[in-house]
Amino acid sequence: MKRVLTVLLAALMLLGFASTAIAEDIEIAVVPKSLDNAIFLDAKSAAEKKGAELGVTIYWEGSTTSDAAQQVNVIESLIERQVDGILISCNDADALKDVIDRAVDAGIVVACFDSDSPQSKRSFYCGTDNYAIGKLSAEFMMEYLPEGGKVAILTGVLGAPNLEMRITGFKETLAAAASPIEVLPVQTGEDDVQKSVEVVSQYTAANPDLAGWFFDGGWPYFADPDALPEVKLFMENGGRIVSIDTCEPMLQFVGLNMVDILIGQNYPAMGSIGVETLYKLIVGEEVDLGDESHYIDTGYEVVDLSNYEEVWASKEPW
Amino acid sequence: MNGRTNGAGARFRALRQTSIFNIFLILLGMCVILTVAVGNKFLSVTNIMSVVRQFSFYAIMATGMLLVIVTGGIDLSVGSVFAFSGIISCMAITKWDVPVFPSVLLGMLAGAAFGYVNGTLITRLKLPPFIATLGTMSIARGLSYGITGGYPIGSLPDSFKFIGLGSVVVIPTPIVLMVILALLFSFFLRKTVTGRWVYAIGGNEEAARISGVRVDRTKRLVYALCGLMAAIAGIATAARLGVGQSTAGIGYEMDAIAAVIIGGASVNGGVGTVMGPVLGAAIMGVLRNGLVLLNVSAYWQQAVLGVVIVVAVSIDKMRSDRRK
Repeated sequence: MKRVLTVLLAALMLLGFASTAIAEDIEIAVVPKSLDNAIFLDAKSAAEKKGAELGVTIYWEGSTTSDAAQQVNVIESLIERQVDGILISCNDADALKDVIDRAVDAGIVVACFDSDSPQSKRSFYCGTDNYAIGKLSAEFMMEYLPEGGKVAILTGVLGAPNLEMRITGFKETLAAAASPIEVLPVQTGEDDVQKSVEVVSQYTAANPDLAGWFFDGGWPYFADPDALPEVKLFMENGGRIVSIDTCEPMLQFVGLNMVDILIGQNYPAMGSIGVETLYKLIVGEEVDLGDESHYIDTGYEVVDLSNYEEVWASKEPW
Repeated sequence: MNGRTNGAGARFRALRQTSIFNIFLILLGMCVILTVAVGNKFLSVTNIMSVVRQFSFYAIMATGMLLVIVTGGIDLSVGSVFAFSGIISCMAITKWDVPVFPSVLLGMLAGAAFGYVNGTLITRLKLPPFIATLGTMSIARGLSYGITGGYPIGSLPDSFKFIGLGSVVVIPTPIVLMVILALLFSFFLRKTVTGRWVYAIGGNEEAARISGVRVDRTKRLVYALCGLMAAIAGIATAARLGVGQSTAGIGYEMDAIAAVIIGGASVNGGVGTVMGPVLGAAIMGVLRNGLVLLNVSAYWQQAVLGVVIVVAVSIDKMRSDRRK
């Protein structure tokens, strides 16, 4: 009996060592759309935290700019290095499909976050429904402007699938509700803070009859509040602004009444849930991936004057 | 009196023969069209100040680029140096507790140092300017990401923000900065020996060398000045936004090169004046502003911008050819 117990104990210890060794050997690469987009930093921090918790090595790798071809090169190098898992935010769903399939064929578990490649062999996608947050933005705008008025849209890089989905969701919701809101031609800041600030400032100053802004990304709010006097004046004169993104530096603008509402994708959840689910698939644990689309909705957060202090306190300072 | 009038008339006739006059006419034409199309929206003091402030950052960077292009070179690293210098100044203020003035100097020094490295790679290792500056473009951007981890650097003091957001009397500081730098560089190119050497190198480098021009030393100085100007523009932009970012200035090198070429400089070197890039940057700034004021959809703006640039340079080229 004693001998049996000793053997069992030894076996358990070995198993324990082995599983630790397996976890420590696991390498997961998290690939954002680009390294130059600060919006992904919350996902990075959460993925690294979850990696440390699980004893998994996390690599944060990507192209310097949002470019699908460069991203394909990054994935090819990860296939060469034979990492165990890849969590990627795709710059282009179709352009990334083949390389994702090659990675899967090479035995790497691949999943998408933030921006999907649904036709590829990826295991799952975790992210926000971009159409839904565009729709929600329109609903808030209709609530703020029941009598209608002119509303401008600020976007980033033209043609980015997630931004286009938000604009479509916004416009279609207004149209479906037969809202008297008139949507003006889309303006772009090209994902550049300075250009975004200049476009918003010039457009606001030049259109005194403008009633609202929909920022489908929060680029202007990466700047200092002092850099946006036109926005401050616009809000003081009754203008309304609905903006996507709830990064830590942006929250102060809610308290300063320089934006009505921020709708944020949950990047920490994308990083954390993405890495954890990928890990479970790599070690062969059973995972419930929902329906056949294998979509994990990480939801969104809505921040206004009523809760911004609470949300701010919950965020890691940048 | 009559003699003075004749002198002024002769000077005006001479001015009309210059490329700068054509570019000025194009800019004036654009302003007239915009005034007719959108009226007070364009001519309002707020809008004009906003446009001039916006293009002043590009104009400062383009003035440095002019020197490089006049020598027959190119500098692709200015956009990255723009970001790196802004970050160095912001880091010095917020993380290393350095007072504002030395922090600004540190950022400027970082930019000049990058430029000097470019010049050294080109003159000592004989690397083509395109390759050397492509490499330093990547190094400066990589250092910016590495130092900051990608996070923006905010909480900057008002004394620093004054460089980008303040005013001297009623003129925004970046505009004052642009004018002072343009005058200084104009003096340097027109009135100093080294300035004349810059043109000589661009005209015919070998002939200049044989004539005793210190070609390599002048080139190193030119690249260092280009880096310095990118740094000043980067620091002023960080001050204007109240935040230093590793992502700032991406693609700005193309804007700077475009401003220099629109401003009448030749990519083959030897030709160009400081007024050129300032007017070139102004044309691009007014055009971008016009597209916003005219409510042109962003999906069409790039195409319109490209067409106007090609038309503007073509008109200038045709007029110059006709004079010849």
